[in-house]
Amino acid sequence: MKLTAGHPQLTAPSASRERDRQAVSADKLVDATGDSPQTQPAVELRSVVFTYSGAAAPALRGIDLTLKPGEMVGIMGASGAGKSTLAKCLNRLVPAFERGEFSGVVRIHGRTLEGARVSDVSPLVGMVFQDFEAQLFSTNVALEIAFTMQQIGMPREEIASRVEPALAAVGLTGFAHRDPTSLSGGEKQRLAIAAVLALRPGVIVLDEPTTDLDPEGKAEVFALIRTLREQGLSLIVIEHEADELRGCDRLLVLRDGEVVAQGPPASVMTQLELLENCGVHPPDLNRALAILGIRAHAATVDEAEALIRRTFSISSDSTAPFRMMTAQNHWKIVDQAVRRTNPDENPILALDQGDVGRGSPASPLAEAERLYFSYPLGPRVLDAINFCIGPGEFVAIVGQNGSGKTTLAKHLVGLLTPTEGRVLLEGCDRTTLRPAETAHKAGYVFQNPDHQIFASTVEAEIAFGPRNFGLSEDEVEERVAEVLRAVNLEDARERDPFLLSKGERQRLAVASVLALRPRLLILDEPTTGLDYREQRRMMGLVSELNRAGIAIVIITHTPWLVAEYAKRAVLMRQGRILFDGPVDKFFQQDQLLRQSSFRPPEVTLLASRFGLAALSPEEFASAIRELADTDKS
Amino acid sequence: MQTSLYLDRGTWIHRLHPAVKLFALFIMFWSVFWVDHPLALLPVAFVMVLLAQASRSWPNFYAFRWFLILMIPPTMVEWMAVYRGGAPVVNLWIIHLSRQALLFGFGRGLKLALLLSSSILFLSTTTIEEFTTSLVTFRMPHRVAFAMSLAFRLVPLFMDSALTVVQAQSLRGYDFNQGNLLERMKRYVPAVIPVFMGALRRANNMAMALEARGFGLGITPTSFIEYRLERRDIVALTALSTMGAAYFIIYYTGYAAIAAG
Repeated sequence: MKLTAGHPQLTAPSASRERDRQAVSADKLVDATGDSPQTQPAVELRSVVFTYSGAAAPALRGIDLTLKPGEMVGIMGASGAGKSTLAKCLNRLVPAFERGEFSGVVRIHGRTLEGARVSDVSPLVGMVFQDFEAQLFSTNVALEIAFTMQQIGMPREEIASRVEPALAAVGLTGFAHRDPTSLSGGEKQRLAIAAVLALRPGVIVLDEPTTDLDPEGKAEVFALIRTLREQGLSLIVIEHEADELRGCDRLLVLRDGEVVAQGPPASVMTQLELLENCGVHPPDLNRALAILGIRAHAATVDEAEALIRRTFSISSDSTAPFRMMTAQNHWKIVDQAVRRTNPDENPILALDQGDVGRGSPASPLAEAERLYFSYPLGPRVLDAINFCIGPGEFVAIVGQNGSGKTTLAKHLVGLLTPTEGRVLLEGCDRTTLRPAETAHKAGYVFQNPDHQIFASTVEAEIAFGPRNFGLSEDEVEERVAEVLRAVNLEDARERDPFLLSKGERQRLAVASVLALRPRLLILDEPTTGLDYREQRRMMGLVSELNRAGIAIVIITHTPWLVAEYAKRAVLMRQGRILFDGPVDKFFQQDQLLRQSSFRPPEVTLLASRFGLAALSPEEFASAIRELADTDKS
Repeated sequence: MQTSLYLDRGTWIHRLHPAVKLFALFIMFWSVFWVDHPLALLPVAFVMVLLAQASRSWPNFYAFRWFLILMIPPTMVEWMAVYRGGAPVVNLWIIHLSRQALLFGFGRGLKLALLLSSSILFLSTTTIEEFTTSLVTFRMPHRVAFAMSLAFRLVPLFMDSALTVVQAQSLRGYDFNQGNLLERMKRYVPAVIPVFMGALRRANNMAMALEARGFGLGITPTSFIEYRLERRDIVALTALSTMGAAYFIIYYTGYAAIAAG
């Protein structure tokens, strides 16, 4: 299939018009200028202002944007900055679906969208949403792709000729008869893209397409986006991880509905403070360079390495193994990590006893022994798992979706009963205890905070747990005050939880579990769907809890988060634990990581080029300085 | 997660025209509606077993086995309590049990089980697209037909989210099973609200995605899959019509009525 459509294809609606005179779809898209579509910008926004009805302030304040055919533009910004609203302007969801006050002009290939319905625009602008569950409706993959083509009344033969090529374009050949719900997250998102490609739209808009995906899914989708770009499609990609957008022609940073920075990646991505202020994760390579006093943009690890070698005149033989011995910092880090936990030598000696002072190495908080689990008539989900967590530990469990991470965690809190083997909670057999009875020992924060929020005020939401345990009102009051402080929601005490932001709701969910003062807190992907600022705040909170002595188990897909916060990493695949050990050792397992599509943070890769180990830009920078100093002396 | 009951087996039942499948569902309901006597219901049950075998839908029946089994005794008891015909065989204080009451009660239980079975069979062999097509064949507007069939797709998703919510709340020390029936129902508030809010949010996302994918253009959509009436459809239609007619005759002639005395 030729993917380089580059201009609007209005043939489909007009074909249907012959059969159905009521169809007005294409008529409404008036050609504003009369120029041929090829010479027109793919997308043109002029002073677009939009205020959601009932909102005090506009979500977009005068946006101007031009996308040339074949260009790829990345849009970044914090939650609530207006990214999704901007995307919705391009296919008329704003203002035809979302009510509010709209002004300005949106043109797609020179045609104004004014007065058009959302469905009129669907053949012109393909839209891929973050919530892939909500955008798939059909029984099988082929029908999913046919969906829009059927809606716009395309003849059957034409639909049939487009399904296979669209599947091939996203690498899903042979999937035509699969049930979309049986696909992995990455496959679902590729299917959503295929459904859009089949219409040969001029523009494709992807609104945080990988937010809910695991590393493998993310990699699949971004590889596909790169291919589409090479084929000349006009793309708009919304993301809040800047790393992924380095391949764009242009970047746009939004804040409070305004464009605050615009330009090629090299110019935007070196404005680190600005990015951070806008809730965007600045590229770690650039951050590391900046700490070292180099104001430059490195698109790849190679570039960053060259820049550093040049600036600090570190020759390439400085990476020889004996160098590592002299790089004091490196050994300090490794040493610390090994002391923190080394399950190979002693599975239980995973804590610094002096710091915590609760329990002994012989009394772990939770323990799984030769744990097997499978659903009735289903495949095996957990396969001979041995896992143990001691007081005060900070463990990150990583692995593909379906590798058994959540299943393992649910065993620890008693939501699932082992098929074989046993789970101990503070030495007691889990199966003898109901989950509700042990909520004050092991807390569990679900991935989606909305699965537990129901009360009408933040305060009542937090008090729910302690009241279930029949605590006195004084005690309840004390705990509410305590956790409100801990999660920094004191000002929101009387507010309606449903009106809080996603990040605040996530912190509220943590607070409401925390109010039971568990000694072990399990968090299932607590940063998914949060912007960078909210992610940092959430992880800051979690580390603080850990410093206060609460053992943390966090399930996550985000490499930098594992590197910077966790002390011990557990890698799972197909129901087995493949690695369990200190985080820095974890990131040295090249082969294991590659097999699991889990990429170490770029600074870690960069550090290894110099024979160093570093898990954050700060660590890397100080290691490089030491290396440079020893080089000179 | 499996979100629909549809089993992609490709048997001749799966290949029937969607409208014929919907008609079959209707005839099952119709036949069961006219008769009360358990014996008269047996042929329907027999047809059901044959169809379940032919369409290889047993896994779904297995999944619903407890519903099917548990449906009969409570219905029996309920109807026996209110049935007031015939000479009582048992006469104990407020309990007056006649042979007719027993038959009637059992018949009602069987009826319900058969209604559920025919729905399971229908959903096991009909995709939501076919469901939509069948409704449209019977002159339902496409939008309405699509919304109805989509609802079937959503039910399992809501069940799944309800399960998660119940787990989340029980991990906050909440016990859903306390007190009498009314109190228990009230205790489900912490589960109902998140599920309901989640449903609203999801419905909004879906509506958005639907419009973005061309739904609601106001024209009659084309169909990627062509449904034609084949010979097997004609045979099935004839058989079903005969069955429907036969049951009406049984009702009309009073053969399957539960005789007094």
